[in-house]
Amino acid sequence: MTHSRKLFSAVSLIVFVAALAALPTDSAWPQEPTNKQLLERIETLESELRNLRDLLLTNMKTAEQAREKAAVAEVKAIEATKAAHELEKQTAYPSIPDTIWHLAGYASAGAEFRTKANEWDFGGVQFNPGFHFQYKDLIIFEAELEMEIEADGETEFELEYSQFDILLHDYATLVVGKYLSPIGQFKERLHPSWINKFSNAPAGFGHDGAQPDSEVGVQLRGGIPIGERSTLTYVLALGNGPRMGHEGNAEFEGFGGDDNKNKAFGGRIAFLPMPYLEIGGSFWKGKLDGIEGPGELLPTSAYAKVWGVDGAFTRNAFDVRFEYLKNTRGPINSFDEDHGEVEMLEKLSLEAWYAQIAYRLPQFGNASFTEKLEPVFRYGEFRVKGSHHLEEQAHKRYNIGLNYWLAPSAVARVGLEIRRFFEEEIQNETLVQLQVAYGF
Amino acid sequence: MKTPMIFTAIALAGLVGLIPLAAYSAHDDVPDPAQIARGAKAWAQQCGRCHNIRSPSELTDEEWLVSTTHMRVRGNIPGNVIRDIQAFLRSSNKKE
Ligand code: HEC
Repeated sequence: MTHSRKLFSAVSLIVFVAALAALPTDSAWPQEPTNKQLLERIETLESELRNLRDLLLTNMKTAEQAREKAAVAEVKAIEATKAAHELEKQTAYPSIPDTIWHLAGYASAGAEFRTKANEWDFGGVQFNPGFHFQYKDLIIFEAELEMEIEADGETEFELEYSQFDILLHDYATLVVGKYLSPIGQFKERLHPSWINKFSNAPAGFGHDGAQPDSEVGVQLRGGIPIGERSTLTYVLALGNGPRMGHEGNAEFEGFGGDDNKNKAFGGRIAFLPMPYLEIGGSFWKGKLDGIEGPGELLPTSAYAKVWGVDGAFTRNAFDVRFEYLKNTRGPINSFDEDHGEVEMLEKLSLEAWYAQIAYRLPQFGNASFTEKLEPVFRYGEFRVKGSHHLEEQAHKRYNIGLNYWLAPSAVARVGLEIRRFFEEEIQNETLVQLQVAYGF
Repeated sequence: MKTPMIFTAIALAGLVGLIPLAAYSAHDDVPDPAQIARGAKAWAQQCGRCHNIRSPSELTDEEWLVSTTHMRVRGNIPGNVIRDIQAFLRSSNKKE
């Protein structure tokens, strides 16, 4: 027992001494510091505090400066973005809506003096508004109305054309609706009064002439570039076709229905070796229905055919054009309203052609108004075989005129027209024509 | 009777063959100087063939787009040539 107690006491002592040795001497046994030591300590602490405060102040200043710099940079960035937008606005176009439209057309008015009647009238008052609506580069709808004041005061109102043009691709457009006849040049391109160089159509190119007027149906048309400068253009068309007119001629006037099962077809092909030279050829064929006569009176139907060639040279101040059309209708039975009976009409042939030249004058010295002047000359013939009434209208036509261009599409013109009829008994006629025309 | 039917068939076959090529492009909004130069030349060559050339300032950009598309059909002018002309007309009318 005593033995173990001694051992325990020894171990306890060792542990205690070891523990004492491990304790920090001063904290374990604090000694009173001297005043001097305390002062030194306070001073050290104070200086450390000062240093810390200085550091804090500098840091705060740097942060403030950084903030200011950031603010300036932000302002600059906003300004730069604005400038970039402004620049973009200046170089890029304003965007275009998908559907766009244009109200166009033309109008004319004038006066005419006729030697035969020895009288003059104001007239030729015409207003043709044109409407064009386009959806992207995909479809364009175009229509034109024709309103004309007749001598008796009535207003003639007509839907000149109304067509959808579906742009299939760069070289082909599908046209559906009522369209102007693509045969020859005059009807489709030259007849608007601000484009025509004269105040009327050439002989045989107006109503009851050789030139088809319009058609209801479809067209496939376009232009194909050939090499650098040349173009081949084509129009293939299909339509309801002609009907018998009062004079026994085939009328091609855009009928909204067919009088038989036969559709008329044809078109025009033209070649432009250079952009200013065009040579074209046209063809059109359709069936006409007559009526069945008593007994053996045949035939009851016939073909109406039109073919033609045309040319245009438009370079610098010159505009030279030529066009020939031949329109025939085979023998057919028809009802003669005058005699109230069926009669057999012989073959009818209408032939019309013209050549015209227009020259825009240059400036002479200081007189710049001469540039607005355009002397024009046209000669044409309309020949008829097979209808007495129409034969009376066959004549040679001379036109000489002067156009004064107020604007590229506004003109005031004066012209002289001489008609020499092929029928001996029909008196020749001279007309003086005045016209103002404006295309818009 | 027979001929028009053959004609219609050919026309339809042609049409169907052509349709896949159709490009319904919207109008470019950024000027392309090379296209504008081509357009200026084409405008001078094409747009005076049937009537007097009108000044670019006569119509607005939108009206020109419609009118030139109208002329594309009426004048049988290839579509790419018309787009060049449109680019020229738009650039001519631009306010500096
Ligand atoms: C094949 C002949 C032809 C060519 C080529 C031609 N035009 Fe026309 N242009 C016409 C005819 C015809 C009209 C009248 C249309 C109508 O009133 O039905 C017209 C009308 C216009 C109009 C009046 C608004 C309108 O759309 O009807 C403008 C503007 C015009 N053309 C500009 C041009 C420009 C620009 C070009 C060149 C890209 C051009 N034309 C090429 C025949 C032509």
